[in-house]
Amino acid sequence: MSTTGDSAQPISGPTESGKECSDWQALLERIPYARHLGLEVQRDDVGLVVHMPCREALIGNFMLPALHGGVLGALIELTARVAAQSQDTDKRCPRILDSHINYLRSAQARSTFASAEIVRQGRRSSLVRVTCWQGDKRKPIASGQVQLLLPTMAAKEADLHEQ
Amino acid sequence: MTESNRAQHSDAVTTAWQFTEQVPHGRDLGMQVVSVNGNQVCMRLTPQPWMFAEEDTQEICTSVLYSLADSAGGLAVFAGALELMPIATLDLRMDYLRPAIGDRALLAVATCRHLTDEVAFIHCDILSESDSALLATANATFMRNTQGQRFQAGGRKKEGA
Repeated sequence: MSTTGDSAQPISGPTESGKECSDWQALLERIPYARHLGLEVQRDDVGLVVHMPCREALIGNFMLPALHGGVLGALIELTARVAAQSQDTDKRCPRILDSHINYLRSAQARSTFASAEIVRQGRRSSLVRVTCWQGDKRKPIASGQVQLLLPTMAAKEADLHEQ
Repeated sequence: MTESNRAQHSDAVTTAWQFTEQVPHGRDLGMQVVSVNGNQVCMRLTPQPWMFAEEDTQEICTSVLYSLADSAGGLAVFAGALELMPIATLDLRMDYLRPAIGDRALLAVATCRHLTDEVAFIHCDILSESDSALLATANATFMRNTQGQRFQAGGRKKEGA
């Protein structure tokens, strides 16, 4: 059962794109909840893609069946976080400020993919747009915008004073 | 606080309540329905270490709060409508006001603000159970009566294409 989306292959190796892929994977693996969801980084013909394999725990409606809206929310938020963090020169860990997700089509119980586009990477904040699809990349099932805050030196010092 | 008032409700709300508690993703996260009062729903979640956003902090991943808001919001549609019908989230916007710390249970309070024949407008607050601190707020729009339209016929044909 091969589809356009499902054919994305994990890349590893000494190439630059392979390094970017493993950087993303390393950032994802530091997030316990991303590990619980089984998120993994792949590369398709355009760029990096986060793959969420389907399993029963992700189902929101067992009659259809369909994925839970919150599972897509997690895929979008975590993809945005890894995209923003990998773009940051200091690899600072961003804090998610808000997210707004539009559901476009029913999310079937199958593999889901997400790609990120950095709308703006600033010094203190980052805005990332994420698109999710299943079989056909031209038919997105959800799209979201996530606003992230990058910790500044001032914020770090304030944290130190608190401790 | 967690005293259930399930027995007092109409058939539609009781069925939606049971359905919510059987959702696999809700069970995975350990979500429970605490109460339904009028058009307002309260749900609870006890955080686990695998829900954290970082290995070395105790902060719960925002996406767990997102899932809780989506589930509580969906049940609030039935609490407002008092009628069973397929629904689907059209959009959901979350604002994360404070970090959610992992040793405190989360409460979601979702209210059905307005209903039309086609749409339900929901507001949801996520609170820390121990001190009632507001952790996040959500506004969501749900489509009502989705059966047979985009959420059943839509997309199925493509399976295996």
